Amino acid sequence: MSLHHPAPISHHPGEELLLAYAGGGADEAVSLIVAAHLAYCAACRRRSRELEALGGCLLQELAPVPMASGALDAALLKLDGIKPFERPARQASGDCTPSVLRPYIGGDLRDVRWRQVGPNLSYVPLFRRGAIRARLLRGVPGSETGAHRHAGLEYTLVLKGGFSDETGSYAPGDLQVMEGDMRHSPVADPGEDCINLAVTTGPLKFESLLQKIVAPLFGF
Amino acid sequence: MLAYARIRPFPRRKPALRLNLPMMPQAQELNALLGRVAEMRDQAAFAALFAHFAPRIKAYLLRLGAPPALAEDLAQEALLSLWRKAHLFDPAKASAATWLFTIARNLRIDTIRRERRPELEPADFMPEAELAADDGLALADDEARLRAALKDLPADQIQVVELSFFADKPHSEIAAQLDIPLGTVKSRLRLAMARLKRIMGEAS
Ligand SMILES: [Zn+2]
Repeated sequence: MSLHHPAPISHHPGEELLLAYAGGGADEAVSLIVAAHLAYCAACRRRSRELEALGGCLLQELAPVPMASGALDAALLKLDGIKPFERPARQASGDCTPSVLRPYIGGDLRDVRWRQVGPNLSYVPLFRRGAIRARLLRGVPGSETGAHRHAGLEYTLVLKGGFSDETGSYAPGDLQVMEGDMRHSPVADPGEDCINLAVTTGPLKFESLLQKIVAPLFGF
Repeated sequence: MLAYARIRPFPRRKPALRLNLPMMPQAQELNALLGRVAEMRDQAAFAALFAHFAPRIKAYLLRLGAPPALAEDLAQEALLSLWRKAHLFDPAKASAATWLFTIARNLRIDTIRRERRPELEPADFMPEAELAADDGLALADDEARLRAALKDLPADQIQVVELSFFADKPHSEIAAQLDIPLGTVKSRLRLAMARLKRIMGEAS
């Protein structure tokens, strides 16, 4: 099952973010969200390959540091025992879930066991490294996340449905990056549930008192 | 100049096919060597690739702060990965150097950072605008041009491009390390990228 979406992608990662992914400097959560965007976006896939080619050139230009004597002989002795790599056969996704996400979800999006945060919002934590968290968020059509700012960066990739806020409208494959003090209040578009992959590098700072109290309980 | 010009024959092995290698292997020669490994499990070709790439991958890992013994082990491991995965190499998609770069990059993320590297799988999307059969050659030319273009960049731009690949830290930390404002790092990077893009664009 492939992810060829008819809707054009209009929100892409910036050059810097693609460079961090291609160069290997981005952490796992940011790499995951960029890779998931690439699953939808041919233009960024091409650009990311060009940036990898830049990495290849830099590798070529590096002043070689000699290997220990005997390193090649040691490698040659191992060759006969090495079997060619076989890509593990994977079952195709039943609902167009990008395959890069599936090991983190443990299956397809439709198999996710959501945790309810309110009547309209649910989420699933995927993983956490220090202050960086990756989660799936789901909002029913019309649901509001509540106006907030960010202590760090917030990356949001739409997987299903869509949402809109002060900065524009986001459809599947679109990636939004909110920095530090940018304020926004996303609302899920009408139609189907909006499912997003979200990566945050610091807690969200909500404006409403209730959310200020409740959000930390859920780790937001 | 290059180590593999003086590789001695390996002991207890059938005589290796003699390759007529130039002193400095360029993209196409490296691709051809990789093709020989994939198709014939050619150990002489492997030895040539090892001589060329292992010391560069070691240098790459050292630049990223790996201790010397680990850099040595991982460079060795990267070349064994090449032997294991050579049949997956597609010269229409990447040059040999680019492919090796991605192997080294991912190996470092796996073993040194102990993180998973989220990678795309071909199953995810439709094949793009079909790559022509001679795209491998075009890519090899691109690599030569890109390397020349890189050398032509002003030193301060080369520095930020290199650090994006060899520093393993966000641009904000690169800025702190260089003691320049983040905005300057970003603008140098943008200038460098625009220039490289223009040169590559003119080429194609
Ligand atoms: Zn894109």
